[in-house]
Amino acid sequence: MSHPAKHRPLIALVALFGLCLSVPAFAQFDAEAAENTFKDNDCHKCHHATKAKKGPALKKIAAKYKEKKLDEKEAIKHMTAGQKVKLDDGKEEDHKIIDTKDVKVQTNVARWMLSH
Amino acid sequence: MDQRALILGFSMLAFGSAMAADPASIDWGKIPATKLTLFYPGQSSYEWLRSEGHKGASSETARGDSCVSCHDDAKEEQRQGAKILRGNHPLEPTTIAGKKNGHVDLSVQAAFDAKNAYLRYQWKTQNPFPGNEHQYLRFDGKEWKVYGFPKLDKVVQEGKQPGIYEDRMSIIIDDGKVPGFAKQGCWLTCHDGQRDMPKQFTKEEVAANALLTAIKKNDVRKYLPDTRTNPSDWKTGKSVEDIAKLKEAGAFVELIQWRAHRSHAVGMADDGYVLEWRLADAGKDMFSGNADSKTHQPKFMWDEKKVGYKSITADQLRKGDHFLIREQNAVPFDPNAGWKEGDMIPDYVTSREDAKGSAADNNAIANWKDGMWTVVVVRPLGLANSDDKALKAGGVYNVGFAVHDDNITTRGHFVSYVKTLGLGAKADIQAVKLP
Repeated sequence: MSHPAKHRPLIALVALFGLCLSVPAFAQFDAEAAENTFKDNDCHKCHHATKAKKGPALKKIAAKYKEKKLDEKEAIKHMTAGQKVKLDDGKEEDHKIIDTKDVKVQTNVARWMLSH
Repeated sequence: MDQRALILGFSMLAFGSAMAADPASIDWGKIPATKLTLFYPGQSSYEWLRSEGHKGASSETARGDSCVSCHDDAKEEQRQGAKILRGNHPLEPTTIAGKKNGHVDLSVQAAFDAKNAYLRYQWKTQNPFPGNEHQYLRFDGKEWKVYGFPKLDKVVQEGKQPGIYEDRMSIIIDDGKVPGFAKQGCWLTCHDGQRDMPKQFTKEEVAANALLTAIKKNDVRKYLPDTRTNPSDWKTGKSVEDIAKLKEAGAFVELIQWRAHRSHAVGMADDGYVLEWRLADAGKDMFSGNADSKTHQPKFMWDEKKVGYKSITADQLRKGDHFLIREQNAVPFDPNAGWKEGDMIPDYVTSREDAKGSAADNNAIANWKDGMWTVVVVRPLGLANSDDKALKAGGVYNVGFAVHDDNITTRGHFVSYVKTLGLGAKADIQAVKLP
């Protein structure tokens, strides 16, 4: 099937719109706001962008989520549930709970973390 | 009123005979400046750092990890200071009127020659005037009473007294003999129970304490963990004999404080150390209390013949250098000089002539211009006193800095994470050898 040349820009626009819809939701975030929330909550004391500290690097977390096909909901659960985490020395500790109940803020942080 | 020229001239005269280099003529433009950020720590004591309140880091701190192993963000100090002063933070229970900045930028330059180390500090003050005034004795028509207190004191919080307290620039120096200082710096010295800290001491507790009674102290100040059988409990002091052994082994830190009123007036910085308490070196400080312990009247007043007045009033605050210097502008107090309600005389008298011994080792020059203090502290090298850390060419030292700004003391300062200072050796702050 062929399209008249005058319709081609419209088709391109529709295709672009469709592409936007297919991009994973975690790709949309305010990086600056997310980083500020992250650091205001002292998350950076344990999680560095690329190197392991007390907790795994954000890059490693993002790769693990991708591999296991986990999404931001799982990340939000992790930062709000205070669940036990296992440390390198074998000890277990309660994960810190983020100091906001605003789901939009939590989602923004989760998306930013998983973008690493 | 302005005695600055007189004081500066006096200071230069005093420096002339004792120093290889005149700190005022060092070309500081050629000395590298290290930019540090100091932050407001609130009540982050040794004990809090090891508690669950220090979320996710209590066990790491207890095992001796360094502060910056976690606090390594480029803007860490700005962020932590702002958080603590933001309000409703567990580390700062008090809203401090007018205190807006959670951090201060400090420039540090260092140099040395055959005789001295020179440390040059610059920082901007929050107020548009230098904090070079300290507490006064004020005549209320019947008695002389202390006027002006540090801002964390209840009487200032309640508006009953004005906040009046000198600015300070302090450095703590460790030569590697204090376990943990290289990792956790000044936080080793800051404990619950101290003034303006959680579980502050009571007079009864101090009176019942064997160590503090033995060393004749009536409050709790900085101490090093090794001086207590339980480092987290100030009440568990070791014996005076055991502490003497620690001192002999050099297990103490040097504390040099430049004080904008009580040492600046005579071109000096005080000389102390921290071991079982925050102690002054042997000898005599350059400042002493001006209130007679029996009569509560001043011991000295200004010499009217020399300065044109014998006292000031509150409306003259922040309008000059109100230093009372025994050998320059002071005479013995005359109780019959026609005192009126509101007359004020400094609560401390300063004297370079009276400063003696190890306590009189450090000199300083300073000025405040366009909102910024510039202070050069001069520390002789190779001091052999038992209460001094001897600085030597080639030496590398662990150091922590503190700035007291805007009429405040105790926890109300800005502090640095631990840094290193090298005299001609590689370090965070490298002192340059002068020709």
